[in-house]
Amino acid sequence: MTEGSVVLSVRGLSVRFLMPGRRTVAAVTDAHFDVAVGECLTLIGESGCGKSVLASALLGLLPGNAQTTGEARLGDLDLLAVDERTLAGTVRGRRIGLIPQSPAAHLTAVRTIRSHLEETVAALTGTRGRAALRSAAEEAAERAAFPGDHLDRYPYELSGGLAQRAATALALIGDAPLLLADEPTTGLDRDLVDHTVDALRHHVDTSGRALLVITHDLSAAARIADRVAVMYAGRIVELAEATAFFGSQGPRHPYSRGLLQALPDRAFIPIPGMPPELGALPEGCAFATRCGRTTDACAALPRMMNAVACHHPYVPEGTRA
Amino acid sequence: MLELRDITAGYARNAPVVRNASLTVAPGEAVGLLGPSGCGKSTLARVAALLHRPDSGTLLLDGEPVRRWRHRAPRELRTAFGVVFQQPRLSADPRLPLADLIAEPLRATGEGKAAAERLAALTTTVGLTPDLLSRRPHEVSDGQLQRACLARALALRPRWLVCDEMTAMLDASTTAALVAAVEHYRRSTGAGLLAVGHDHVLIHRWCDRTVHWKAPSS
Amino acid sequence: MAEAAAEREWRSYGISRRSTHTIRLRSSAALAVVTVLAVLLVPPLVQLDQQAVDLAAKLRPPSWAHPFGTDDVGRDLLLRCVYGLRVSLLVGVAAALTAALIGTAVGATAGALGGWVDRGIMRLVDTVSSVPHLLLGVFIVAMFRPGVWPVVISVALTHWLSTARIVRAEVLSLRSRPYIDAAVSGGASRWRVTVRHLLPAVLPQAGLAAVLMVPHAMWHESALSFLGLGLPTHTASLGTLIQGARGSLLVGQWWPTLFPGLFIIVPTLAVAGLAGAWRERLNPRRRSELTL
Repeated sequence: MTEGSVVLSVRGLSVRFLMPGRRTVAAVTDAHFDVAVGECLTLIGESGCGKSVLASALLGLLPGNAQTTGEARLGDLDLLAVDERTLAGTVRGRRIGLIPQSPAAHLTAVRTIRSHLEETVAALTGTRGRAALRSAAEEAAERAAFPGDHLDRYPYELSGGLAQRAATALALIGDAPLLLADEPTTGLDRDLVDHTVDALRHHVDTSGRALLVITHDLSAAARIADRVAVMYAGRIVELAEATAFFGSQGPRHPYSRGLLQALPDRAFIPIPGMPPELGALPEGCAFATRCGRTTDACAALPRMMNAVACHHPYVPEGTRA
Repeated sequence: MLELRDITAGYARNAPVVRNASLTVAPGEAVGLLGPSGCGKSTLARVAALLHRPDSGTLLLDGEPVRRWRHRAPRELRTAFGVVFQQPRLSADPRLPLADLIAEPLRATGEGKAAAERLAALTTTVGLTPDLLSRRPHEVSDGQLQRACLARALALRPRWLVCDEMTAMLDASTTAALVAAVEHYRRSTGAGLLAVGHDHVLIHRWCDRTVHWKAPSS
Repeated sequence: MAEAAAEREWRSYGISRRSTHTIRLRSSAALAVVTVLAVLLVPPLVQLDQQAVDLAAKLRPPSWAHPFGTDDVGRDLLLRCVYGLRVSLLVGVAAALTAALIGTAVGATAGALGGWVDRGIMRLVDTVSSVPHLLLGVFIVAMFRPGVWPVVISVALTHWLSTARIVRAEVLSLRSRPYIDAAVSGGASRWRVTVRHLLPAVLPQAGLAAVLMVPHAMWHESALSFLGLGLPTHTASLGTLIQGARGSLLVGQWWPTLFPGLFIIVPTLAVAGLAGAWRERLNPRRRSELTL
């Protein structure tokens, strides 16, 4: 990975929410990561760990009681510092394409897929004229493998898989260098998950975009990711190459190990306990109470060292120092 | 024995979503029902739990045909089933704190006195912590809420459990924890299970026997 | 890199969005408070007789002595308006409450039972709706001697229909939620499901409907009184005041009709503003801005 190929560079991004009674909820703390051209970074973690908040922060869609710090550079732009007008006019759709969680709900129920596509084409590419719009919309549908004979259907007439393709087609129109997929496979069947994930992967491989996928579905992550970022209690605790992470070497953070061991095709053993509240995080390592390797050292917050934030990480075989 | 014979069911006249389906669950047995979304397997699960009246077909419970559904079914029959649904947000009354949510079946059946004691046991079974019990559904995560929904389903010690896509919205660790809680309950009581889902790996790992289903041709 | 976190500058988002809501809410609340205070405090505190006739000062335009002017027998219109508002508000609130209670009971019954009970009740609602409200109201009032309570009954019996429809629709949509299934499976009786799960969920909506109905009921009372069918003419209500003054409007005396009219509009605006704010709070997403 060379410096020039980085599309999105996140440095020290934190998001907190101000709650009634002067409470604060630290939804995301000190996130650091890069996404490069032609690469898929998958952010995994359980529901409520802050990963969706991170996505909202990148798109400038946080609610009114949120505060952010740090930076998220997309080219020359700091996504956290620019105003709403810039985000709406030049970022959303044009520089970041969003693939939403539930595509059927994301589409307007009273308009056909064709009219969705034509509107987006007109807004993002400046194409004018009926015939030009029509052909551009059909081209956009084809890129996402959306069948042409379904273009005049309404969102509720589509199956989950086709709705997902329609949403993908919309996200691809603006030729955004970064695609952001927020839980793109929730509620889909396994076969559809595989299909959706393969299609996303294909777009990354052929067009050289960067893809950031946020998901709790580990098997989908294993299928699509080049690199994996594991999030726990608002912090990224491990960044790893996907082949090593899901392969024989395995993850290095005890939490990541626990997550993988909970899969039904592995040990199927849950991690004991529940994640801590984001409004009442402990002083030290947030995972210590659920971890089998806890010692006194864990009372201090572990720093990110060699891409893992743990005092006692698992050391890969053969690289023992 | 829970037997579904030749069940046809749906929500609109002349458009059944389930056609001529048959299924058997023996006491203590775990049966998985696999199929793509929209094939009507959730409807079949609701029929099995006496929550939806089929258009035709018979449901036999220990050899006795069931003739009445929902409120008309005798209370002992209704409460013989514990149900857990896919979306915890929709399965929980948004105004009830988790403690009331879990104890509601006990109160509804006149066992309110035993509620406090039972609540503590159920909370441990599903891995919730006591501090969460005073919260309302919008103040907890999906995983925590689904744990509470499972505790509610177990409150009346049902002989049958019907889990309709119970873990589809949950992460790997919570999935494993909830399945472990269900299995722990079944080992101690010998209850039968009908688990509906679309994740082959999970259902095969979880259940003794798996039934594959295809979408109706129409 | 963790050290840098100590000195952070936090950026905030979207604070300004709330201010307009607050302004509207505050002005509506102020209007409502003034109205209620005037109605509750003026009669016991101000030792003036609203019926005091002063024929020497009849039909005077607004002045310092009589800010709203005087009527055709020289009674102070400000005082008459306050007393009138008191009666109109009483009728409005009582009628709206009664109507909301009837509507909620009927709507919840129809929605919770469903089937032929629902069909029967809703046909009845349709039938009653097809008769013009005022006509039906006149008919009901005509069965009693003039007075406050016949008007309340008349307004209530013509205004419960919309609440019944709202509550029924809400109950129907809630009835198919999985949590109702879970309650059924948990052994809850039909009564318990209705009282514990369905009614509490529709009460905010029903309450909102009741609040919005208060101005409606006030207009209805005014209309009945204006037609001479509502309250007896010697009882000051906003309707009887306007009715009594309509003759003077033709000869260019505007104040005896304008001020009672304004007194109907002011509570209406206050109620609409407060109800709007309430509706916004009902939106469940606002209860907790944080959804993780």
